[in-house]
Formats: sequence, structure tokens, C-alpha cells
Amino acid sequence: MASTTRVLIADDHPVVRVGLRNMLQSDPTIQVVGEASDGLEALELARSLHPDVLLLDLAMPNVAGMEALREMTAGNLDTRTIVLTGLIDKRQVLEALQLGARGVVLKDAAVEHLAECIRAVMQGQYWLEGRPVQNLVQVLRDLTAQTAPAPRKTFGLTARELEVVGLITEGCTNRDIAKTFGISEETVKRHLTNIFNKLGVGNRLELALFALNHNLLPTPDGQ
Amino acid sequence: MPETETSLAPAVFDQLQKAMATNKAGFTELYRDFLADAWHTLRELREAVQQQRIEDARDKAHYLKSSCLVLGAREVARQATRIEELARASAAIKEIEVEPIADALCDVQAELAERLGSGVLPAGKTAA
Repeated sequence: MASTTRVLIADDHPVVRVGLRNMLQSDPTIQVVGEASDGLEALELARSLHPDVLLLDLAMPNVAGMEALREMTAGNLDTRTIVLTGLIDKRQVLEALQLGARGVVLKDAAVEHLAECIRAVMQGQYWLEGRPVQNLVQVLRDLTAQTAPAPRKTFGLTARELEVVGLITEGCTNRDIAKTFGISEETVKRHLTNIFNKLGVGNRLELALFALNHNLLPTPDGQ
Repeated sequence: MPETETSLAPAVFDQLQKAMATNKAGFTELYRDFLADAWHTLRELREAVQQQRIEDARDKAHYLKSSCLVLGAREVARQATRIEELARASAAIKEIEVEPIADALCDVQAELAERLGSGVLPAGKTAA
């Protein structure tokens, strides 16, 4: 007789838990060993019950699903986690996989796919978009590429001119800018003339609005 | 609604029904609990919208969406998602915008009553 897969269900919605439990229990190879209604309980039960698989809703009270997943990974638990989600957010999928999730199942496909997903995961496969993943490295590469922020368009401005734009939007005067960069006010004026010409704006207010609308301002990490 | 379209995703309903074939009463109870919970959550969502408690409205819409997705109530889930997205964008939500959820839930309830009998209707009723 095939060994059974012990499953823990973590979802804050009781109706969801009952539905999934009943559906899974009709499969003789699956045994639902526990249910958790929030992330904290999920962690506690995973530690005490040592299930083979944790079905983890990402949006739960107390400890959110993603945080619970992080803790599971940090705790070196053998449990394989399958994430349940209402929609595919590529950034979230990437983060979940990076945190050690073995599968992602959409809630509207849970009844149809979950048992198959559990079997695939127990065989060492990953599960995404309703099927086993053959090449996880390629999937991670694709997801990383799809979720990377678009490069900042600079409209031909030099690095120094972009810095000047940043200070203009902060309300700095030419004198402030000159002082900040250790250059003369004349040089600041030349930078501004070049910036106005390149962007087709006529004054500092238009420049500030252009910068805001076109994502010209530096990000906190300096990118 | 066109005759060919159903309020419940057939694949989900049929598979769950098959899975619970030996527990027909439990199957009806599952959908009865679903309906009772959905109407209750809808009432809470309406209150949140009336009082413009946008974060609450987002949470209630999300909660409602969750069970609807799993149990196959696609249109209710779609309408709840619309409200959740409005709330996430911090947009003001008009009370009338919640009503398509009630309409969709009425359709689901009618279909369930037709398929499973009146025993699926929650006690004390329900709708709007």
C-alpha cells in the first residue's frame, strides 16, 4: 500500500478549510493531519505535527503567509510548502519560491489541481501555473526578468544633470545647488539650460513636474 | 444570464460533489455554510463601505473572494475582487458598487437550491 502524505491546511477561512479537507480526504494517499486559521498557528502546528506538506494561504491574520514561509525555511523544517493564492502576482510567486515554496496553486484551481500538485511536490517536483515545472532555474530566471523594475529613462541627461534635477525638485536654489556640488552658480545655470533644452521644458516648475511624471528622480537606493 | 452559463464553476462543483459522494449531507452543509458566511460577510462589507472604512472593505472583499474562488462562485469572486482593487487604490467606493456582489450571490444561491434542494439555504435567510 502506498504511504500517505500528511497535509496541514492553513487558511483563515473556515469554509475554505472544510472544502479543501473534504476534497483531499477523498484521496486515499492523502491524510489531513491538522488545520490552522492563521500564520502563527500554522507555524506551531507545522513544528508539532511535522506534516509532509503545508498548504499555506498567503493572506492570513497574525503572521502573514509569506512571513510564516520565511520562518519555516529558517527553522529547517522538512515540510514542503504549497502556497495558496487568489491571484498570480509574479513578484509574490518569485518571493515564495525564493523562500522555499515548492508549489503555487490558485484558489480557483485548488479543487481541481491540489491533489495532483501535492503528489508532484512529494515526488520532488515544483508546481506552477497548474502543472509540474520541468525547469525551475528557467522559471526563476523568467520571473526575475519579468519582475525587475524598468530601467530609468534619462532623456539624454548626464549623471550630474540628473542630480541637479533631483535638487530642483527638492526646491533648492541655484546657490544651494552650487554649494552642494562645489561649483559656481554660472555652471549650475549652464546645467539648467542644457536640462531645459533636452527635456523641452521652460521653467523650474515644469521641470519638477516632468521629473515626477517621468520617474526621473533618483530612488532611495540611488538607482 | 444565458442558459449555458452557470453561477458555479461546473468543474469545481462536480469534483467536490464527487469527492464527498459518501457524505451528501456534509456536501450540502458545506455549501450552506458557504452561503451563510458569504451573506454575513457581504453585510459587513456593505457597512464598511457605508462608513467608508476602506481598509475594512478591502479585507471583507478579500475574505469573501477567498471562499468563492475555492467553491467555484466565480462571478461573486470577480465582483469581490473589483471592490478589493478599488479599496487597494484607496478609491471612494459607492454603496451601489457593492450590489453586483449581492446579485451574483443570489444567482449562486438559486443554482445551489436547484441542485441540492432547499436544505442548502441558510437558516434565517440571507439576501439583501
